Amino acid sequence: MSQQQSKQRHLITVTNPRSTVSEAFRSLRTNIDFSSVDEKIQVIMVTSSGPEEGKSTVTANLAAAYAQADKKVVLIDADMRKPTGHRTFSLSNRYGLSSLLSQQANLDEVIQESEVPNLSIITSGPVPPNPAEMIASNRMTATLQELRQRFDIVLIDTPPLLAVTDAQIMASKSDGVIMVVSYGKVKRDIAVKAKAGLDRVGARMLGVVMNNVKRKASEGYYYYYYGN
Amino acid sequence: MLSQELDLRDYFRIIRKRLWLIVGIVIIVCGIAGIYSVYIKQPVYEASTKIIVNQTPNQTAVAQLDLNQINTNIQLINTYKEIIKTPAILDIVASKYPQFNLTTDELMKKVNVSSVNNTQVMTLVVRDTSYSKAAEVVNAISLVFKQEIPDLFNVQNVSILNEAKVNPEQAPGPVEPNVLLNLAIAFVVSLMIGLGIAFLLEYLDDTLKTEADIEQVLGLPTLAMITRVGAEEARAGEPVSAAQIRKTGELEHVTAAK
Repeated sequence: MSQQQSKQRHLITVTNPRSTVSEAFRSLRTNIDFSSVDEKIQVIMVTSSGPEEGKSTVTANLAAAYAQADKKVVLIDADMRKPTGHRTFSLSNRYGLSSLLSQQANLDEVIQESEVPNLSIITSGPVPPNPAEMIASNRMTATLQELRQRFDIVLIDTPPLLAVTDAQIMASKSDGVIMVVSYGKVKRDIAVKAKAGLDRVGARMLGVVMNNVKRKASEGYYYYYYGN
Repeated sequence: MLSQELDLRDYFRIIRKRLWLIVGIVIIVCGIAGIYSVYIKQPVYEASTKIIVNQTPNQTAVAQLDLNQINTNIQLINTYKEIIKTPAILDIVASKYPQFNLTTDELMKKVNVSSVNNTQVMTLVVRDTSYSKAAEVVNAISLVFKQEIPDLFNVQNVSILNEAKVNPEQAPGPVEPNVLLNLAIAFVVSLMIGLGIAFLLEYLDDTLKTEADIEQVLGLPTLAMITRVGAEEARAGEPVSAAQIRKTGELEHVTAAK
């Protein structure tokens, strides 16, 4: 996904809900729902080994897919180093997660409604000097606890795993972790290293989302416009 | 490991994936070969004489064909073939015909002697960038050879069957470069190189691509395969305003009515 190409990231589940890609996001939603039997998966974190693999796009579309299923969803842009969530949803980033964690704003002030019904966003807020410490803070844990009460699903967009430690810390606070792997871009040992980092903090891995799959390679998997 | 073995479909997939690389290499190499053969390489012409090895009648009393004699001559041809290409003959050619401006070594490279098995005829072929020069050189060599043989062998048994025409009515076409042959060679070689590169790249590519890769390397399930959002697809959906988005619960039927 090239971020430079379009200023606003495509929320394809909203703009074109009948496309195969949207269908893939809906099937992702279903697969997550059924991936755990006993535990409730409520706080889901999305990360990847490297940058630009499509974490933010996947998170945003998955959030919209959940919202379309009548779940109350909040999307937290926890990538405080390179925030993009506010741009995807055309929201202000004046207050966000960083203002909340640094006690400059309270939770109600930072939760913004998106254009998609049922979908709320907490943008990253102004870029702080110490994102890792902020995520590790007790206030972050308390915030997540509060959000669990208010929302059905909490989706968290994080920085890449191998670049910074933020995602590892966040993983320990989440119910489940989804790893985005860009098709043909991630080397085996890099992926193994990223997964090992998550395993070390005892993260619960839900599975992998393969992103940017070439259309040809995927045609065997999905019917194109089935039932259209 | 079983999963690492490639089956035939994988070969086709790899070739299809890098088809443009392979086609590109083939086109470029064939193009270079074509341009080289047609425009850069100087055409080479060929002129030949035929020499017959036989006892002349005035040497032998009995003017009749003798099988032994013929066999001897055939054996001699092998010797003659070597002699022509030695300085013994070519030195004389070089010094006698200074207008050719050729050294013995150069002559040696230009001349080619062959004979058809079990005949008394041998063929002298000379190649040069000019046909008339090739013809002159080959005539000169045959002549010198004919003159020198009695000195070397004490027999007068060589005669020139036909000389190369220095100025034929119809200019002979060049024997080199053979554009079609060069193109065919270039095509085959470049195709092999292209395939080799394609398979090498595939072999060196150890990125994750399939659900099986992910299962094998990470031991995790693949939750979804999400294709690239093509421009046409992002546009195709008429912008649905937020209010119109159909809400769908998991247990509801998703009807695509609109």
